[in-house]
Amino acid sequence: MKRRFALAALISTAALFAGCASGPKYAEMSKSIPPLKADQGRIYFFRSGSMVGAAVQPEIRLNGTVVGASKPGGFFYVDRPAGNYVAATATETEKTLSFALAAGETKYVRSSPSIGLLVGRIVLELEDPKKGQDEVETLSFTDGLPAK
Amino acid sequence: MSIRSAAAAAVSMVLAITLAGCAASVDSAPVVFVSAPGADITLTQAAEVALATRYTRSLPQGSKWRKTGTVPQGSVYRPIDTVFTIEGRNVHEAYLVISAQRQLVGFYLPGESRLSPLLAPIPLSYKELP
Repeated sequence: MKRRFALAALISTAALFAGCASGPKYAEMSKSIPPLKADQGRIYFFRSGSMVGAAVQPEIRLNGTVVGASKPGGFFYVDRPAGNYVAATATETEKTLSFALAAGETKYVRSSPSIGLLVGRIVLELEDPKKGQDEVETLSFTDGLPAK
Repeated sequence: MSIRSAAAAAVSMVLAITLAGCAASVDSAPVVFVSAPGADITLTQAAEVALATRYTRSLPQGSKWRKTGTVPQGSVYRPIDTVFTIEGRNVHEAYLVISAQRQLVGFYLPGESRLSPLLAPIPLSYKELP
């Protein structure tokens, strides 16, 4: 009985970690990040490595287009022309973040779980650039695409 | 209690919980923004802002803001080297809108080109930076 319980715990843990970001750390891939084009800005999307709500990993949309997924311990970035943007995640309800992006500017968007009625919600917030960069440097790069 | 009334009670409860868990949307309206860069300011006194959505925001003493333009309600200032947002059901990047009477009258939402007015203006203490 004890063995079965231990096996179940092991499988559950493995399943949980399988859903976490597992790409290279920022330090390992930062040299491959291209410089910004003159008319564009960069948006980093990131999520801390906390296991709270780890199973909730919705797609992230930017002006209606899927750009990636919110994965614990992961980050990705997109370059976009200067302009107005709405980032969104949807679980049982949609949560959005609106912001302006200037040419040459880098914005940091943190996604984090919050309590929902039936399932957790992923809230998007703008992070202070210094704090955002510091946190991204501790995380793993994801290809940005949601798990299939 | 019949099954039907028990089910109705359960649905009502779920609805009540759902509604209680939903924050109000940030009220806003389209506004004409005119770009007009100007002087930087720093708050000489902290201010607390209670939003209609029941969320609050702090404007710390010493925080620095740069004039980026105007709307009919006043001058628009964005934070320097940091970000500022207001929140209701969703989150919105926000710049301060300060009237000629040195009162915070609302927020310009740059990602939406809209103005979110405050229910009551808040006097601000600030000075221009050299």
